[in-house]
Amino acid sequence: MMLNHFQTMVIFALAVSLAFAFLSKNNLNERLRYAVWAFLAFMVVAIGIGWLMYPFSR
Amino acid sequence: MAQTQKNPINPALALVAAAAGWLVPGLGHALLQRWSKAIVYFVAVGMLALVGLWMRGNVFSSNAADAFDMLGFLADIGSGIFYFLAHTINPAGADVSRAAGDYGTRLFATAGVLNFLCVLEALQIGFGSKEEGQAAG
Repeated sequence: MMLNHFQTMVIFALAVSLAFAFLSKNNLNERLRYAVWAFLAFMVVAIGIGWLMYPFSR
Repeated sequence: MAQTQKNPINPALALVAAAAGWLVPGLGHALLQRWSKAIVYFVAVGMLALVGLWMRGNVFSSNAADAFDMLGFLADIGSGIFYFLAHTINPAGADVSRAAGDYGTRLFATAGVLNFLCVLEALQIGFGSKEEGQAAG
């Protein structure tokens, strides 16, 4: 299976945010909101750090 | 305010659920009748572990050469059945000469650590120390 870095990151963020939502919240609404928030936070932070490192990549 | 419930303490069931949850992700919660949690934990841990193995990530063994290998082993062993079936799922073995293999190593370690968190939660539920809402399944 060949996945690129971004696809791997999406799978990681999806699985971890879903598990964290069920570990930390008790009802469906809270879980859904937390999972979406955590997923987006993972993505935004990772892409942001990627761009911060961009000048040092060459 | 949402109503919360605490479960009666059942140490034997808590320990059995923790062991079962370590061996098969989500099974501990299934034994405690937390069905939705059981399914989500199995899918999340299983997805991370399987993708990690299919990407030919490294699976650390118990005879670690250094402290980092030992940490890797401790993380990997958390995924339970997926650790023991790693060579069956990916007979070709690890290939960390490509970036994909390296990503796979991280995903598999994440699966193990995530499952340890689930095992701890199963223990908490079994010992009655975790407050849960009425809809918590």
